[in-house]
Amino acid sequence: MSDEEHHFESSDAGASKTYPQQAGNIRKGGHIVIKGRPCKVVEVSTSKTGKHGHAKCHFVAIDIFTAKKLEDIVPSSHNCDVPHVNRIDYQLIDISEDGFVSLLTDSGGTKDDLKLPTDDNLSALMKSGFEEGKDVVVSVMSSMGEEQICAVKEVGGGK
Amino acid sequence: MFNGTVGGGAEDLPQLQSTMRAIELACSYIQINTNPAAAEATILSLHQSPQPYKACRFILENSQVAAARFQAAAAIKEAAIREWSFLSTEDKGGLISFCLGYVMQHANSADAYVFSKVSSVAAQLMKRGWLEFTPAEKEVFFYQINQAILGSRGLDVQFIGIHFLESLVSEFSPSTSSAMSLPREFHENCRKSLEQNYLKTFYSWAQDAALSVTNKIVESNSDVPEVKVCNAALRLMHQILNWEFRYSKGGTKGSINVFSDGIRSDTASARKTEAVIVQPGASWCDVLVSSSHVGWLINLYSSLRQKFALEGYWLDCPVAVSARKLIVQLCSLAGEVFPSNNAQMREQHLLLLLSGVLPWIDPPDVISKEIEEGRSGSEMIDGCRALLSIATVTTPDVFDRLLRSIRPFGTLTLLSLLMGEVVKVLLANSNDEETWSYEARDILLDTWTTLLTSMDGSGGNAWLPPEGMHAAASLFSLIAESELKLASASATTDEDDSDCLASVSAMDERLGSYALIARAAVDATVPFLTKLFSDRVARLHQGRGTVDPTETLEEVYSLLLIIGHVLADEGEGETALVPDALQSHFVDVVEAGNHPVVLLSSSIVKFAEQCLDANMRSSIFSPRLMEAVIWFLARWSFTYLMLVENCNLGSNQLQSLPSRACLFTFFNEHNQGKFVLDIIVRISLTSLMSYPGEKDLQELTCHQLLHALVRRRNICFHLLSLDSWRNLANAFANDKSLFLLNGVSQRSLAQTLVLSAYGMRSSNASNQYVKDLMAHMTSSLVDLANNSDLKNLAQQPEIIMLVSCVLERLRGAASATEPRTQRAIYEMGLSVMNPVLRLLEVYKHESAVIYLLLKFVVDWVDGQISYLEAHETTGVVNFCMSLLQIYSSHNIGKISLSLSSTLLNEAKTEKYKDLRALLQLLSHLCSKDMVDFSSDSIETQSTNISQVVFFGLHIITPLITLELLKYPKLCFDYFSLISHMLEVYPETLAQLNSDAFNHVLTTVDFGLHQQDVDIVTMCLRALKALASYHYKETKDGNTGLGSHAAGHTDPNGVFREGILSRFLRTLLQFLLFEDYSTDLVSTAADALFPLILCEPNLYQGLGNELIEKQGNPNFKTRLANALQVLTTSNQLSSSLDRLNYQRFRKNLNNFLIEVRGFLKTK
Repeated sequence: MSDEEHHFESSDAGASKTYPQQAGNIRKGGHIVIKGRPCKVVEVSTSKTGKHGHAKCHFVAIDIFTAKKLEDIVPSSHNCDVPHVNRIDYQLIDISEDGFVSLLTDSGGTKDDLKLPTDDNLSALMKSGFEEGKDVVVSVMSSMGEEQICAVKEVGGGK
Repeated sequence: MFNGTVGGGAEDLPQLQSTMRAIELACSYIQINTNPAAAEATILSLHQSPQPYKACRFILENSQVAAARFQAAAAIKEAAIREWSFLSTEDKGGLISFCLGYVMQHANSADAYVFSKVSSVAAQLMKRGWLEFTPAEKEVFFYQINQAILGSRGLDVQFIGIHFLESLVSEFSPSTSSAMSLPREFHENCRKSLEQNYLKTFYSWAQDAALSVTNKIVESNSDVPEVKVCNAALRLMHQILNWEFRYSKGGTKGSINVFSDGIRSDTASARKTEAVIVQPGASWCDVLVSSSHVGWLINLYSSLRQKFALEGYWLDCPVAVSARKLIVQLCSLAGEVFPSNNAQMREQHLLLLLSGVLPWIDPPDVISKEIEEGRSGSEMIDGCRALLSIATVTTPDVFDRLLRSIRPFGTLTLLSLLMGEVVKVLLANSNDEETWSYEARDILLDTWTTLLTSMDGSGGNAWLPPEGMHAAASLFSLIAESELKLASASATTDEDDSDCLASVSAMDERLGSYALIARAAVDATVPFLTKLFSDRVARLHQGRGTVDPTETLEEVYSLLLIIGHVLADEGEGETALVPDALQSHFVDVVEAGNHPVVLLSSSIVKFAEQCLDANMRSSIFSPRLMEAVIWFLARWSFTYLMLVENCNLGSNQLQSLPSRACLFTFFNEHNQGKFVLDIIVRISLTSLMSYPGEKDLQELTCHQLLHALVRRRNICFHLLSLDSWRNLANAFANDKSLFLLNGVSQRSLAQTLVLSAYGMRSSNASNQYVKDLMAHMTSSLVDLANNSDLKNLAQQPEIIMLVSCVLERLRGAASATEPRTQRAIYEMGLSVMNPVLRLLEVYKHESAVIYLLLKFVVDWVDGQISYLEAHETTGVVNFCMSLLQIYSSHNIGKISLSLSSTLLNEAKTEKYKDLRALLQLLSHLCSKDMVDFSSDSIETQSTNISQVVFFGLHIITPLITLELLKYPKLCFDYFSLISHMLEVYPETLAQLNSDAFNHVLTTVDFGLHQQDVDIVTMCLRALKALASYHYKETKDGNTGLGSHAAGHTDPNGVFREGILSRFLRTLLQFLLFEDYSTDLVSTAADALFPLILCEPNLYQGLGNELIEKQGNPNFKTRLANALQVLTTSNQLSSSLDRLNYQRFRKNLNNFLIEVRGFLKTK
């Protein structure tokens, strides 16, 4: 899987994966790149360099893939990188023995390179929903060359 | 567990002993923390067992374990309060005399906490029976207590007697009384009875007790036991004077001419002081004033003072503290206690106290030096408090005059000297907080505020006496200098200053008081401030580029804040008048250019203007300084800029002063006004464009300054004619750099610009102005939504940012809806309806954008709904329903995954905020039925709002899980909507399908079990509405709630009760067996009454069931009677009118008092 990821990243190098945005404008709940990782901001506070200096922003953010906590301090007039976070819904069409899932893309093709999520509840839910024959829609979040299943929703159907 | 029946005899001694041992064991287990749960259960079962008095008395008398005796006393109290209504009169009296006798007998033993407990139990039981005991019965108790207090049974008993009265008074005082699950009325009657018949007697008993030991104390050279009694008596007197006297005032307050003799009664003015005015009424004159009570107290304290060096006495020894407290309290004595024609008597009283207090505070420098060398500061602080108390009950004139008879100067001068000393000390130890000087400064500042606000309100021409003015001026210059010193000293300390913006308002209160002092002597202080300011500015210019300006910057920052407070008041949404003092002084000024206030204002505006220059900006105007500049301009312009004659001037007798006229005309539209307005707008634009990322500064500019400008209609006219304003509007519509402002500022700026459209001459022009302003935003949303690649495009960060900005701006514009611009804003919303729905679709994973979308719609609907015509309403309602449906389809059954619990919690919070917005949307739709300005006649076929809202609720209630209702705000919004809907449209509810119906009622059931009284009240109101609707309908032969009420048999053959039956059960269960605030009883009665009428058979059945469950035949009959009385007494009939509701409330109250006691006994 890591090989594939690497490949994807290099082929995609031309497209912009991030966008510069003024630090003062990044809010709680927004995204930010810290130490090369795409993160979601959970806390922003401002302070000044000395009383009559300029404002700085202090970000506490959580890596959207690994859930690691990261922090950064940036002068509020400077730019930060904001990651391009994409979420796409697919219909689940198969779960293979080895834990990989098959997803139906909009264009009618399949996407087979994702594993079941590590969260037991969620994967159990996917399996049971799938086995009962319900229509299961999964959301896949991708950013900076990584992807992960981030949400599941049963749309009904079933026996 | 414990069976403490009353009827036992000596034969159950072994049982009593075993009970005692069990409790003792439990207490010791708790102390050593072994199996505390079981031990607590043991003790609890004693508390809850029926009639445990015998066991308790046994324990109290025999146990060696103090904790066990304590628990026994607590158990007596709990059981007796619970079972009071069916104890015999002898038992009641017996319990009280037992407790009283017990404390007196054991007066000299240790374990004070047990005695406090027992005497407070006696006090509580006494109060419980207060209204039923005859005067003779009470007399018996009080005779005993009086004997004790007279000292005939020794000092210990004397102490106990006083202590008991203390418990009693605190039990009767509403703020400290303990709950007895009785209506408020009971507490009020007790309080009234005590105040009118006993309080004064208690006070004289305490006086007598204190007098009887005074000589011993004065003559002694060491700690004597009499001190304890004296201290208790002083405490009791203090407590009695703290009583909120209410019934002893003869006549109404307004009938007394309080101003005639220089004493005032405006007690309402808001201060942070604890100085409560003591107004016991005319009957107290003999005890407090005309006797030599005050003289005795002053002498007692001064003889105590001489003993501070001796063993057992010191400055803060309890008796000294109590004596000082009482002295301070007597300083605030006021009202009819002084005969109304005898102002002299009052001044004599105050003078006597002041002369007693004087040694504590005078001479200030000597005393402060002693304190700095290690003496306790408490006496000096009490002295300050005494000054504050005197200030609360006198006018400045009387206050100042008091001291003149014994000193060569007035009290104001002393106050000024004292505070000057305190400020000096404060400056010297500025680093450590929590010193005496902080406290003293706050109290003294309050004293000034108290004195000066009374002047401010009385017409503006009441000046301090000349000497007082001088005192105020010199104090203010001392204060200003010390503030500046503090500022420059703190300039470089890099304390974690996250409260930049907050600091402006945090100092507000203190600076407000300083400003009052400054205004008391404007002739000196305004020129003084002008000089300080020009000094600092000159220093900045001289040192430019060579010297580090930080310290001076910080000084200028502080000065701007101080000057802002002196020149103008905080408007708080109202028009702030030019302070009276500034209007009425400077009488000899005839030319505007020489008016000190004009000079000061102009010099600041001129200084501020320099920030427009880029070089000056980089070298002088730091973000923090800009904050102060903007803050000042906002506050100043609201009071001085372009005043409308007769509106900002207030009306008083000063109209004709020429000095006043030039102050007002100088900054008006014909003079400098327009010029200054232009400068202000340009400064605003600079602060928005040239300070990127300075969030606080930008918010201040948008919220305080610009917003304050457009709130004034006449200023709007001028704004629209200014090029600078046009530049601002242009930049807003087209300039990318204003997209960099943060969301809140975007919104506020949009709102401001839309509001300024009022300045257009006609409604058409206003609408056109708004249209032009917003066209760019709406078209960008429409273009984006129509883009074929929307799905991919929308995910790009720059697009997300653009959309967020535009939505914030639309929301800002929507919240600025006014009749004049309503059309333009309606069309603005109309044009983005489809894009909004499309964006809701593509951003379903981007919760931040979703929230903005929802909030925009909420605000837009809120602004528009009442103006819309029928066909427009239909469109808007359909739009809202699609919005709800799309939102719900995305979120129902969705489970998000994240490895991080923080992110999961965030997601939950986001969902809560979304739902709250949706509920608000529904509430706004509801308001269409209440407020409607449309031109349609009532008869026009229009949308049925109630159906729409129920339909909306039907869509979103599945999203509102019981989990989410734990968010208090969401819970509140939800239940207020539900109760509103049920009260106004019960018929629509009846038409809901059974799933939806049941969901709504499940949540009501959930709400009934909440802790929050408001929520429970709303649910009860909903129930009342539901039941009374059903009752009235069925009475008229209609179906009412139909099948929902009738109950049904489910597929498994089990009969399901109807909804009203279910709630009748729940409500009875709640009322009889659960704990709740007594405030809820009336509302519950209103719900219970129609429920009973709807389901009389079930009610009978439940009643019988309850009666059957009672084992005790005595209780059985009582309960049966009570149930009978509940539905029959007070001529209760079966119609649902106001009168019957009232009767039922009364009945229910009595019923609960009667039966809850034994029903709750386990």
